Amino acid sequence: MSLTLTGPVRLRGVTRRYGTRAALDGVDLDLGPGVTGLLGRNGAGKTTLMRCLATDLDPTSGELRLLGRDPGRTTERTEIRRRLGYLPQNPDFYPHFTAFALLDYMAVLKELGGRRARHDEVRRVLRQVGLYDRRHSRVRRLSGGMRQRLALASALMGDPDLLLLDEPTVGLDPEQRIRFRNLVSHLATRSTVVLSTHQIEDVAALCGHIVCLDGGRVVFDGAPGDLVDRARGHVWEGTGDPGIGLTSWRLPDGRHRVLTPETAGAPGPSFTAVEPTLEDAYLLLIGVSGTEGR
Amino acid sequence: MSGWHLTPAQAHDYAARRTDEITAMSVEAHLMHCPPCRSMLPADEEWLADGWASLRDVVDRPRRGVVETLLSHTGLRAETAKLLAATPRLYQAWLGSTVVVLIAALAAAHTLPRGSLMFVFLAPVVPLVGVALAYGRGIDPAHTLASVTPMAGQRLLFLRTCAVLVPALLLCTGAGLLLPHTVTAWDAIFWLLPALTLVSGSLLLGRMMHLSVASGVVGGLWVLGLILVSLSGQGVPLGVFAPQAQMWWGVLLATLVGALVFRVRVA
Repeated sequence: MSLTLTGPVRLRGVTRRYGTRAALDGVDLDLGPGVTGLLGRNGAGKTTLMRCLATDLDPTSGELRLLGRDPGRTTERTEIRRRLGYLPQNPDFYPHFTAFALLDYMAVLKELGGRRARHDEVRRVLRQVGLYDRRHSRVRRLSGGMRQRLALASALMGDPDLLLLDEPTVGLDPEQRIRFRNLVSHLATRSTVVLSTHQIEDVAALCGHIVCLDGGRVVFDGAPGDLVDRARGHVWEGTGDPGIGLTSWRLPDGRHRVLTPETAGAPGPSFTAVEPTLEDAYLLLIGVSGTEGR
Repeated sequence: MSGWHLTPAQAHDYAARRTDEITAMSVEAHLMHCPPCRSMLPADEEWLADGWASLRDVVDRPRRGVVETLLSHTGLRAETAKLLAATPRLYQAWLGSTVVVLIAALAAAHTLPRGSLMFVFLAPVVPLVGVALAYGRGIDPAHTLASVTPMAGQRLLFLRTCAVLVPALLLCTGAGLLLPHTVTAWDAIFWLLPALTLVSGSLLLGRMMHLSVASGVVGGLWVLGLILVSLSGQGVPLGVFAPQAQMWWGVLLATLVGALVFRVRVA
């Protein structure tokens, strides 16, 4: 029943410690169908959270429910894994395997039954990621982008209800990224997809829900529009020196784009407020929360 | 054209693949030149698609390696053979080094006074080292991908443990039979219960820490035990393999296996 009320992924007070350091610190989240973007700077706890959601890592404390089940119990964890697809950060493979053989091996591990059905599924996902023509190539002969797509194909096998993608567009060229976005948005019509990334453009293009982590804590949980609204009146463009201590960068036309925290006004008389982007809003969020945390 | 045509029954039998080979060849030769008879055959799109899919699968399927083929011939399920054959190359390195170590132990036993001691103390550790290298992060290159699949965890660990134990036990038994003073079968397998006990202890401890570390701890305890027995005044600690000690190994093994099964069941 709680599944219907709270969505396929529910975390309550989830903490994960490595020694004395808390990589996740009391995280509360409810994730439903569609694409959720997981943002945060390096070391914010994104990968730890993804590994907890992937049942690869147990939380030190707190309550975690995935697809209505408790991953802390062996039988329920196995049931979750049958409906889970996970693309880890920096995936590695057996280099002497062909792309087809590797996915066939993964399909056996995923308990996709019957040789013909298994092979058909391997072909399906190879086509989905555009690697069908390279199915007989050994993994060691594939480029970094192709290996990334191969790992994505592995995650897609079995049509998972919960798909976890950790930095999925690393190594993909622009054309492949567009293809990836189309694929993920198609999958999100029936699955819960969690996308951990530094690529704000991917989040802006795909996600209807954003979770931002900083120092192991959730600092934003909501719609992209709400995050952008927060930044309204804090993004400026103009000429002249924007001052020290503000986030700013030079634009191609020589002017500066400046992000000011909530307490500050315009950085100078020549600066005018402009419409914020999701990236502006994200930078303001982690900048402000980082300042507050110190 | 002979004027001969297929009867509806013949066409039906051919489509259902119930005709013998010679008749099928005659029918096919006739069908090539006779559109009316061809039209009697069912145009079953699903059947046709299935036929093409079968053909594609035969062409596309990955070629099985030597190990996978050999394992399949031993009667293992194709999926199990595939999982075992994919174990890391470190496993193959372990197998090679095991053979080298056992050959060295045999050479020592045949050439040095009290050289058999090398085999005596190494044999129980050989399977343990194999188990330490069988599974885990940092050992299996594809571990991050495999670790969140339904087969991961205990099932894959036990499968790979068996894959390590079987050759290890066979190799050690073979080496035991070649020892200079081996007379009975018992002389060749005196190390078996201690070896299985060490492996069980490692698997049980592996539920609390990385399997490699657990195996290291258990192996360390084994060496420490041998040293302590030596220092206690017995000289060479052969007493740990004596028939009365075997009973205690048996009890310890049963206890550890029971605890392991219990931990797996209640998890």
